[in-house]
Amino acid sequence: MKRIVELTINGEPRDMVVDSCRSLLDALRDDLGLTGTKKGCDVGDCGACTVIVDGEPVNACLMLAVEAEGRSVETIEGLQPGVDVLHPLQDAFMRYGASQCGFCTPGILMMAKKLLDDNPRPTDEDIRFGLSGNICRCTGYTKIFDAIKAAAIEMEAARS
Amino acid sequence: MNMTTPIEQRDFKIVGKSVRRDDVLEKVTGEAEYTGDVKLSGMLHGKIKRAAIAHARIKSIDVSKALAYPGVKAVLTHENVPRVLHYGSPHPRSASCTKDQYILDDKVRFWGEGVAAVAAISEEIADEALDLIEVEYEPLPAVFEPEDAAQPGAPLIHDVGPGGNLVLDPVRINRGDVDAGFAQADFVLEGVFSGGRPHPAYMEPNVCIADWDGSNKLTFWTSTQTSFMVRGILAEVLGLPLTKVRVLVDHMGGGFGAKQDLFQHEFLCALLAKQTRRPVKMEFSRHETFVAGRSRHPCKIWLKQGFKNDGTLVARDMKLAYDSGAYGSHGPGVTIVGTTAATSLYRCENVRLEGRCVYTNTPINGAFRGYGVVQSYYALDIQMDEAAERLGMDPAELKLKNVVRAGDIAPSGHPILGHGLEICLQHGIDVLDWKKLRNRDRTPDPKRPHIRTGWGIGCEMHGSSAYPGIKEQGNATVKVNEDGTVTLLTGAAGLGTGAHTALAQIVAEELGVRFEDVGTIHGDTDVVPWDIGAFASHTTYLVGTAAKMAAGKVRTAVLERAAMKLQVSPAEIDLSEGKVFVITDPGRCMTVAQAMGPSRGIPAANIVANGTYEPTKSYSFAAHFAEVHVDTETGIVEVKRVIPVHDVGRVIHPIAAQGQIEGGIQQGIGHTLTEDYVIDKKTGRSLNAGLVDYKMPLSMDMPDIETIILEAAPDPGGPWGAKGVGEDPIIAIGPAIANAIHDAIGVRFRHYPITPEDVLKALREKAA
Repeated sequence: MKRIVELTINGEPRDMVVDSCRSLLDALRDDLGLTGTKKGCDVGDCGACTVIVDGEPVNACLMLAVEAEGRSVETIEGLQPGVDVLHPLQDAFMRYGASQCGFCTPGILMMAKKLLDDNPRPTDEDIRFGLSGNICRCTGYTKIFDAIKAAAIEMEAARS
Repeated sequence: MNMTTPIEQRDFKIVGKSVRRDDVLEKVTGEAEYTGDVKLSGMLHGKIKRAAIAHARIKSIDVSKALAYPGVKAVLTHENVPRVLHYGSPHPRSASCTKDQYILDDKVRFWGEGVAAVAAISEEIADEALDLIEVEYEPLPAVFEPEDAAQPGAPLIHDVGPGGNLVLDPVRINRGDVDAGFAQADFVLEGVFSGGRPHPAYMEPNVCIADWDGSNKLTFWTSTQTSFMVRGILAEVLGLPLTKVRVLVDHMGGGFGAKQDLFQHEFLCALLAKQTRRPVKMEFSRHETFVAGRSRHPCKIWLKQGFKNDGTLVARDMKLAYDSGAYGSHGPGVTIVGTTAATSLYRCENVRLEGRCVYTNTPINGAFRGYGVVQSYYALDIQMDEAAERLGMDPAELKLKNVVRAGDIAPSGHPILGHGLEICLQHGIDVLDWKKLRNRDRTPDPKRPHIRTGWGIGCEMHGSSAYPGIKEQGNATVKVNEDGTVTLLTGAAGLGTGAHTALAQIVAEELGVRFEDVGTIHGDTDVVPWDIGAFASHTTYLVGTAAKMAAGKVRTAVLERAAMKLQVSPAEIDLSEGKVFVITDPGRCMTVAQAMGPSRGIPAANIVANGTYEPTKSYSFAAHFAEVHVDTETGIVEVKRVIPVHDVGRVIHPIAAQGQIEGGIQQGIGHTLTEDYVIDKKTGRSLNAGLVDYKMPLSMDMPDIETIILEAAPDPGGPWGAKGVGEDPIIAIGPAIANAIHDAIGVRFRHYPITPEDVLKALREKAA
């Protein structure tokens, strides 16, 4: 059965007509063309499809599109604060070599954003725990940890 | 590889700097387009019906209900696809592959093999239609273990090949006199080693899209490391002229070796698109990446070595048996490379090796980082540790005594250049103060008395090309545009390593322009020069040298053009950082843009040159030092700290090289401790084909890694001495961990993965 879903995506009101069984991930990727969010497993194991819904990180493959009705969804396409301006995390990921194949990167960036929004001064353990639902198979995580720590420091400095 | 060729030294401007990779801005913004992100109008979705039986003949297959299902556009079975015997592993000019596959056959050889394919207007409809296909099987006796498959009278899985379920004739290598060597030995060690079936688990599931145009040309997007090999085999099997197949691949979500096969779904996708005259997309589920993907060959190794009391190794006798799974794929290459590698690493004049590779009714094993050498060096390195124990010697000392050195014969048959392994090992010993570590106070922490700590060393070496198995060719085209910018065209795949950035750095350095002025075009077989594929740790070494050659040629031409404009001879000018200047009078200068642009009757122009390079081989080296904590109550082994010391020759991009090493360690910790793709020994069914049940090290599991890269033994065969790095780390870390576990609890494990159950059982047996 088709349903009309009205929601906010990256700050903009959007609507879409979706099957009631369609996942938020498929709706984002196929119906709205927001392919930055990746499908690594489609069963909630890998975290590649992490988006933020009403401030909480969500595996978009595990949420139905109809469940997003009236809610606010943030995806990788909305992480940049402005045209030609990068989020400090994006910049740090480039400088520190935190992205190799890049397939996990959008999900990890969204999870890291949530982590730093909640906890601006995370310990190493906080970062490790925060990313425990996101699989990266290329980097050994070392450079991802470095990038998140660096971004946290830069964001803190920018606030003060 | 030529020992007399000097390696050019220079004051590097770009090489050796961690410039911003050309692919990462798109990756952090979500704009990077992967194959699965491509959407064509009218695109159908393809799905594969997979057998729920490990070995059977198909008696009948009825697709009538599926074809009648609304939304279904085509169904393929073995009755309506071309029957062409073909290679799975698409390596060219190579004896190391086996023609044993059909697109679809009337026989099933493993649980999960495709028996039919459907194209429909949605993924859901295609999936539902699969259930409507009725297949009647005649079950055949199946074999799941190489030992059983190799027995006389075992059910035969293929009609082709040497018979007896062998994928290839046994690989035999004899050097010196092994029996005489053993006769000189003061003691002999003998052991059986084995390795599980780790799966590469790249984050991007296999995916392809096929689209035919009105001229019967196939455009094919696919996540592959070997786009030109895909083009070649697709054309051959589908009966098309080569240029009627165009393969496209932009960003790839990892591959780690496994995406260098020609997969069944790729043929089926092309055929479904042909039949429906509509684009068709086929995307694996995560489950399918296990079942229909490629894993590392499980291996059983019998190893016997003779030693003198001073630690000299006098004889090595080794038999290796690799499990190919249901098809040959890379089995021959893996067997040859893994067996041949065992001639080296630790010096021994008398060597007798025999490598076999056997079909079983299990999912296909293929290329995966380490290519047969993970298995053989795990055995060699652990037995070296055992010898040290027997001698009462420090394993570091024994390894230092025996590691290969300059002039020793490498597995490729060439003399080794430089003392790379010795330098890496010695460097780690010095940095860690290894002697002090060995003699540390081993009293357990009273707060955590059940934790035992241990340190171990693992050594490895690995070639930066597939030579001599494959005589490789690297190609590059470099263009200097009329505005002074530079375009590099390369067929090398960008599977996430940063290879294109390294190639652009090499071009900028050699040509004398800024890195930002070099753009890279890749991933289109209609446009870029032919490439053998991204594998064998060779892209920087092989394609990097070709790119340097091409850049050198355009540099000469740019200087000639600028000399004409500056009215001097080319010998009087130089080119650096995008500027041409008179050497004795640097004020007389022009930019490359000015040199290329129009002036006084000389029209603007492009300069284009190609580089083609056919290398032999170089070897990279590494010694890994690992600290583990073994919990004697739970059996859990935690890797706490790793100090990997690598010799990669000249480093082109330090951060990218470190990233390769750190990621390789992650995967190596996985296969050593937790990762094993398990096949049920009664049915052949996959038991853990998913990312929760297949246990990989994640953020909470990673040790502190303090990567050390030495430019210890640059190789003149690579650009300014650069060698490979991709596969090395995954080989060294395994034995380092196994040896560290022995140091912690005094138990010698000779297999992987070493699970908590194994540890607890061994501790119990030790206590009894």
